[in-house]
Amino acid sequence: MIGKSEWFERRRYGGWGVRPCKWQGWAYVAAMIIPLVAVNAIGGISNDDRNVVMGAWIALIILDTIDIMAHLKKDERSFMHEAISERNSSWFMVIVLSIGFAYRIIDGARAGRVEIDPVIAVALVGAVIVKAATNYVLERRN
Amino acid sequence: MDNNIASLRKDLNMTQQELADKVDVTRQTIIALERGRYNPSLLLAFRITKALSKDLIEDVFCFSELNEKK
Repeated sequence: MIGKSEWFERRRYGGWGVRPCKWQGWAYVAAMIIPLVAVNAIGGISNDDRNVVMGAWIALIILDTIDIMAHLKKDERSFMHEAISERNSSWFMVIVLSIGFAYRIIDGARAGRVEIDPVIAVALVGAVIVKAATNYVLERRN
Repeated sequence: MDNNIASLRKDLNMTQQELADKVDVTRQTIIALERGRYNPSLLLAFRITKALSKDLIEDVFCFSELNEKK
Protein backbone atom coordinates (compact mmCIF):
# COMPACT_ATOMS: atom_id res chain seq x y z
CA MET A 1 0.00 0.00 0.00
CA ILE A 2 1.94 3.09 1.21
CA GLY A 3 4.71 1.85 3.51
CA LYS A 4 7.28 -0.63 2.22
CA SER A 5 8.15 -3.76 4.20
CA GLU A 6 11.91 -3.17 3.57
CA TRP A 7 11.72 -0.11 5.82
CA PHE A 8 10.65 -2.17 8.83
CA GLU A 9 11.69 -5.18 10.85
CA ARG A 10 9.83 -7.47 13.21
CA ARG A 11 9.68 -6.07 16.72
CA ARG A 12 11.74 -8.46 18.84
CA TYR A 13 12.31 -6.78 22.19
CA GLY A 14 9.42 -4.38 22.73
CA GLY A 15 6.24 -6.35 22.15
CA TRP A 16 4.58 -7.26 18.87
CA GLY A 17 4.35 -5.63 15.46
CA VAL A 18 7.04 -3.88 13.44
CA ARG A 19 9.61 -1.17 14.05
CA PRO A 20 11.44 1.06 11.55
CA CYS A 21 14.92 -0.12 10.58
CA LYS A 22 15.63 2.49 7.87
CA TRP A 23 15.20 6.26 7.76
CA GLN A 24 12.33 5.82 5.31
CA GLY A 25 10.51 3.85 8.02
CA TRP A 26 10.94 6.67 10.53
CA ALA A 27 9.80 9.19 7.89
CA TYR A 28 6.75 7.03 7.22
CA VAL A 29 5.89 6.90 10.96
CA ALA A 30 6.22 10.70 11.16
CA ALA A 31 4.10 11.15 8.03
CA MET A 32 1.40 8.97 9.59
CA ILE A 33 1.41 10.66 13.02
CA ILE A 34 1.74 14.33 12.00
CA PRO A 35 -1.71 14.47 10.27
CA LEU A 36 -3.32 13.00 13.41
CA VAL A 37 -1.75 15.70 15.59
CA ALA A 38 -2.56 18.40 13.01
CA VAL A 39 -6.26 17.45 12.81
CA ASN A 40 -6.47 17.77 16.59
CA ALA A 41 -4.59 21.07 16.64
CA ILE A 42 -6.43 22.83 13.82
CA GLY A 43 -9.43 24.84 14.95
CA GLY A 44 -12.66 25.46 13.07
CA ILE A 45 -13.48 21.80 12.52
CA SER A 46 -16.55 20.24 14.11
CA ASN A 47 -16.01 17.28 16.43
CA ASP A 48 -17.96 14.99 14.09
CA ASP A 49 -15.77 15.90 11.10
CA ARG A 50 -12.64 15.52 13.22
CA ASN A 51 -13.74 12.05 14.38
CA VAL A 52 -14.49 10.96 10.79
CA VAL A 53 -11.10 12.16 9.51
CA MET A 54 -9.23 10.62 12.45
CA GLY A 55 -11.16 7.35 12.20
CA ALA A 56 -10.41 7.05 8.48
CA TRP A 57 -6.74 7.91 9.03
CA ILE A 58 -6.36 5.38 11.87
CA ALA A 59 -8.06 2.72 9.73
CA LEU A 60 -5.55 3.50 6.95
CA ILE A 61 -2.64 3.16 9.41
CA ILE A 62 -3.96 -0.20 10.70
CA LEU A 63 -4.51 -1.58 7.18
CA ASP A 64 -1.11 -0.39 5.99
CA THR A 65 0.59 -1.88 9.07
CA ILE A 66 -1.09 -5.24 8.39
CA ASP A 67 0.10 -5.02 4.76
CA ILE A 68 3.67 -4.23 5.90
CA MET A 69 3.64 -7.14 8.37
CA ALA A 70 2.29 -9.53 5.72
CA HIS A 71 5.09 -8.60 3.30
CA LEU A 72 7.90 -8.55 5.87
CA LYS A 73 10.90 -10.57 4.64
CA LYS A 74 11.41 -13.66 6.76
CA ASP A 75 13.91 -16.43 6.32
CA GLU A 76 13.87 -19.83 8.02
CA ARG A 77 16.01 -18.66 10.96
CA SER A 78 13.92 -15.58 11.77
CA PHE A 79 10.75 -17.65 11.25
CA MET A 80 12.00 -20.22 13.78
CA HIS A 81 13.02 -17.50 16.25
CA GLU A 82 9.61 -15.85 15.94
CA ALA A 83 7.79 -19.17 16.39
CA ILE A 84 9.76 -20.08 19.53
CA SER A 85 9.42 -16.61 21.10
CA GLU A 86 5.66 -16.55 20.36
CA ARG A 87 5.31 -20.05 21.86
CA ASN A 88 7.14 -19.00 25.02
CA SER A 89 5.09 -15.84 25.43
CA SER A 90 1.83 -17.74 24.84
CA TRP A 91 2.87 -20.35 27.42
CA PHE A 92 3.46 -17.55 29.93
CA MET A 93 0.03 -16.09 29.17
CA VAL A 94 -1.68 -19.49 29.47
CA ILE A 95 -0.06 -20.11 32.87
CA VAL A 96 -1.05 -16.67 34.20
CA LEU A 97 -4.60 -16.96 32.82
CA SER A 98 -4.98 -20.47 34.29
CA ILE A 99 -3.83 -19.25 37.71
CA GLY A 100 -6.28 -16.32 37.48
CA PHE A 101 -9.08 -18.65 36.37
CA ALA A 102 -8.42 -21.09 39.24
CA TYR A 103 -8.14 -18.24 41.74
CA ARG A 104 -11.55 -16.88 40.75
CA ILE A 105 -13.16 -20.34 41.08
CA ILE A 106 -11.56 -21.01 44.50
CA ASP A 107 -12.38 -17.52 45.72
CA GLY A 108 -15.99 -17.93 44.59
CA ALA A 109 -16.28 -21.40 46.13
CA ARG A 110 -15.11 -20.02 49.49
CA ALA A 111 -17.96 -17.50 49.34
CA GLY A 112 -20.37 -20.27 48.35
CA ARG A 113 -20.94 -19.25 44.74
CA VAL A 114 -19.73 -20.31 41.31
CA GLU A 115 -17.48 -17.66 39.83
CA ILE A 116 -16.13 -18.19 36.33
CA ASP A 117 -14.47 -15.31 34.53
CA PRO A 118 -15.98 -15.46 31.01
CA VAL A 119 -13.15 -13.48 29.39
CA ILE A 120 -10.46 -15.82 30.74
CA ALA A 121 -12.58 -18.87 29.87
CA VAL A 122 -13.04 -17.68 26.27
CA ALA A 123 -9.30 -16.87 26.02
CA LEU A 124 -8.27 -20.35 27.22
CA VAL A 125 -10.86 -22.27 25.16
CA GLY A 126 -10.05 -20.07 22.14
CA ALA A 127 -6.34 -20.80 22.54
CA VAL A 128 -7.07 -24.56 22.61
CA ILE A 129 -9.14 -24.26 19.42
CA VAL A 130 -6.52 -22.14 17.64
CA LYS A 131 -3.76 -24.58 18.63
CA ALA A 132 -5.79 -27.58 17.40
CA ALA A 133 -6.68 -25.83 14.13
CA THR A 134 -3.04 -24.83 13.55
CA ASN A 135 -1.82 -28.39 14.18
CA TYR A 136 -4.54 -29.80 11.90
CA VAL A 137 -3.55 -27.47 9.03
CA LEU A 138 0.19 -28.08 9.56
CA GLU A 139 -0.25 -31.88 9.67
CA ARG A 140 -2.17 -31.79 6.40
CA ARG A 141 0.32 -29.45 4.75
CA ASN A 142 3.56 -31.24 5.64
CA MET B 1 27.34 -28.92 11.57
CA ASP B 2 30.62 -27.38 10.45
CA ASN B 3 30.93 -25.39 7.24
CA ASN B 4 33.42 -23.39 5.24
CA ILE B 5 31.01 -20.78 3.91
CA ALA B 6 33.23 -17.86 5.00
CA SER B 7 36.36 -19.04 3.18
CA LEU B 8 34.47 -20.05 0.01
CA ARG B 9 32.63 -16.73 0.03
CA LYS B 10 35.88 -14.80 0.38
CA ASP B 11 37.40 -16.84 -2.47
CA LEU B 12 34.57 -15.57 -4.66
CA ASN B 13 35.02 -11.96 -3.39
CA MET B 14 31.44 -12.03 -2.20
CA THR B 15 30.14 -10.03 0.76
CA GLN B 16 27.83 -11.53 3.39
CA GLN B 17 25.03 -9.32 2.09
CA GLU B 18 25.57 -10.48 -1.51
CA LEU B 19 25.41 -14.12 -0.45
CA ALA B 20 22.36 -13.40 1.68
CA ASP B 21 20.59 -11.78 -1.28
CA LYS B 22 21.54 -14.70 -3.55
CA VAL B 23 20.04 -17.34 -1.24
CA ASP B 24 17.16 -15.11 -0.06
CA VAL B 25 17.98 -14.89 3.65
CA THR B 26 19.02 -12.04 5.94
CA ARG B 27 22.67 -11.12 6.55
CA GLN B 28 22.20 -12.15 10.19
CA THR B 29 21.49 -15.71 9.04
CA ILE B 30 24.73 -15.78 7.01
CA ILE B 31 26.64 -14.48 10.06
CA ALA B 32 25.06 -17.18 12.27
CA LEU B 33 25.90 -19.86 9.69
CA GLU B 34 29.52 -18.75 9.33
CA ARG B 35 29.95 -18.76 13.09
CA GLY B 36 28.45 -22.28 13.25
CA ARG B 37 25.60 -21.14 15.49
CA TYR B 38 22.85 -22.18 13.10
CA ASN B 39 22.19 -25.38 11.17
CA PRO B 40 20.40 -24.62 7.90
CA SER B 41 17.56 -26.59 6.36
CA LEU B 42 18.48 -28.94 3.53
CA LEU B 43 16.93 -26.53 1.03
CA LEU B 44 19.02 -23.60 2.28
CA ALA B 45 22.15 -25.76 2.39
CA PHE B 46 21.62 -26.66 -1.30
CA ARG B 47 21.00 -23.01 -2.19
CA ILE B 48 24.21 -21.93 -0.43
CA THR B 49 26.19 -24.71 -2.15
CA LYS B 50 24.93 -23.51 -5.54
CA ALA B 51 25.55 -19.83 -4.70
CA LEU B 52 29.14 -20.69 -3.77
CA SER B 53 29.60 -22.45 -7.15
CA LYS B 54 30.00 -25.90 -5.63
CA ASP B 55 28.39 -29.10 -6.89
CA LEU B 56 28.33 -31.14 -3.72
CA ILE B 57 26.81 -30.11 -0.42
CA GLU B 58 29.75 -31.85 1.31
CA ASP B 59 32.08 -29.27 -0.28
CA VAL B 60 30.48 -26.63 1.94
CA PHE B 61 29.05 -28.47 4.94
CA CYS B 62 30.43 -31.32 6.93
CA PHE B 63 28.54 -33.28 9.54
CA SER B 64 30.42 -34.02 12.72
CA GLU B 65 28.79 -36.32 15.27
CA LEU B 66 31.06 -34.91 17.97
CA ASN B 67 29.93 -31.30 17.37
CA GLU B 68 26.25 -32.25 17.34
CA LYS B 69 26.56 -33.77 20.82
CA LYS B 70 27.99 -30.57 22.31
